[in-house]
Amino acid sequence: MPLLDIDRIHTFHGRVEALSGVSLSVEPGEIVALLGANGAGKTTTLRSVSGLLTPQSGAIRFDGKPITGLSPEAIVRMGVSHVPEGRRVFPGLTVVENIILGASNRRRPSRRRMAEDVEDMFGLFPEIRPFSDTLCWKLSGGQLQMVALARGLMAQPRLLLLDEPSLGLAPLIIQQVFRIVQEIRKRGTTVLLVEQNAHMALSIADRGYVLETGRVVLQGDAQRLAHNDDVKAAYLGGRTA
Amino acid sequence: MDILLQLTFAGIGMGSIYALVALGLVLIYRATSVVNFAQGDFAMFAAFLMVLAHLHLGLPYWASFLVALAGMVAFGLIFNYGVYYPLRNRSYLPVLISTLGASIVIQNSVLAAYGPHPANLPGALSFQGFQVGSVFLDGQYLVIIAATAALVLLQHLFFEKTIVGKQLQATSQDKEMASLLGVPVKIMIAITFIYSAVLGGVAGVLVGPIIYVSIGMGGAIALKAFAATIIGGFGDIKGAIIGGVVLGIIETFGAAFISVPYKDAFAFIVLFAFLMVRPQGIFGEKIAEKA
Repeated sequence: MPLLDIDRIHTFHGRVEALSGVSLSVEPGEIVALLGANGAGKTTTLRSVSGLLTPQSGAIRFDGKPITGLSPEAIVRMGVSHVPEGRRVFPGLTVVENIILGASNRRRPSRRRMAEDVEDMFGLFPEIRPFSDTLCWKLSGGQLQMVALARGLMAQPRLLLLDEPSLGLAPLIIQQVFRIVQEIRKRGTTVLLVEQNAHMALSIADRGYVLETGRVVLQGDAQRLAHNDDVKAAYLGGRTA
Repeated sequence: MDILLQLTFAGIGMGSIYALVALGLVLIYRATSVVNFAQGDFAMFAAFLMVLAHLHLGLPYWASFLVALAGMVAFGLIFNYGVYYPLRNRSYLPVLISTLGASIVIQNSVLAAYGPHPANLPGALSFQGFQVGSVFLDGQYLVIIAATAALVLLQHLFFEKTIVGKQLQATSQDKEMASLLGVPVKIMIAITFIYSAVLGGVAGVLVGPIIYVSIGMGGAIALKAFAATIIGGFGDIKGAIIGGVVLGIIETFGAAFISVPYKDAFAFIVLFAFLMVRPQGIFGEKIAEKA
């Protein structure tokens, strides 16, 4: 049984249909890449899963249970953590406060448990440890992405929704972020990854879907997609990629 | 010198009232992006609850105080669900108008229930105050200052030391993200309304012995509290407290040295000066938000 099963959803922004019958599934333990141009519906798909948007028709099932129409709070409590586009770290709170808030979906962990989990995150993201008591508006883009990831992982998700984690970051930091995504999967978390950087995304993903104007136009094995001529032409900078 | 100290004391006392109401205003603004036009009526309503419990039902002072505050907890909750909640997904303007309407409803409900006559509440303590050197410390002003200081301290500890406090801050900074993390945003906003109603309630009950308890008392206090938030830096918690106290002191000095009849005008002259010279207020930053 797939961990996440999206079944022909139609989601609207006002009167504009942003998703016209998108279906996709994510198996436990997979990294699945969701590719496509700006406005293709990648972010809308993630927002439909996490409950920020409610599809007008179609169904979304997580671990076999329907979650369409549930509130974001309820969905994250079931184990779906969404790290949205633009990181959305709370600027007026410190790094460690942001990370602790990531556990808001869990049943009040004990202080010791919380301290261990925070320590675990600083182990995974050693770069942000020195800034643990720094207010987040003072951090760089790469550091913010680390905080956002750490905060998302504090939810102890079974499924992590990652929206454009590489956006606006320097190439070296991007490589680091993708290494961490692989590490996250090794720890047993399934990942649905939205990326503009198709080359990077397909290099770590098992499978991929390509969206175009609200529809899935291509899907398959990540290696095959990376060598698909249409994908190359559209998203990988031509045949030289 | 003595007169300056005496006036400063009275100014801090009155300023504390403005600070309490301003604090409620800012907390609601931060949580919902709406200026609550009924904030002053929270104070008025609580003062009338106190009049009812203490003067009409004859309950002891502190029991009446508790009744009034318990009433404000319920009041804040009803306000949240009646005035804010149905319009929460709209822009700020419908909510703002809704609070304006609530203000009119609250005032006229009290008018219908109690009548137009002002009431006079007794002070919290039986002693009048005491003399320190040449300065007379009025008992009621001391209670106001102590209660404000205690509330500000408690609130600080709550916001900085508890998870719920952090969740409230997260809600005020980014509601959508907070809900994605599993923060119960609706409950956070309800808590904010309840707490703001209680803050206004404490202000209303404590200011009762100093000004008459009347249906219009909230309007005057709220306008000055609003001025205080702008002077302190709009949306800034520290700014609301400091702004309130500064306004109280300026007003008291203006009344003593310039003109008593124009006492209420000084707050707005200062507000005007701030808007001209430093519109971001004492603690405000020129850049509204940093991402």
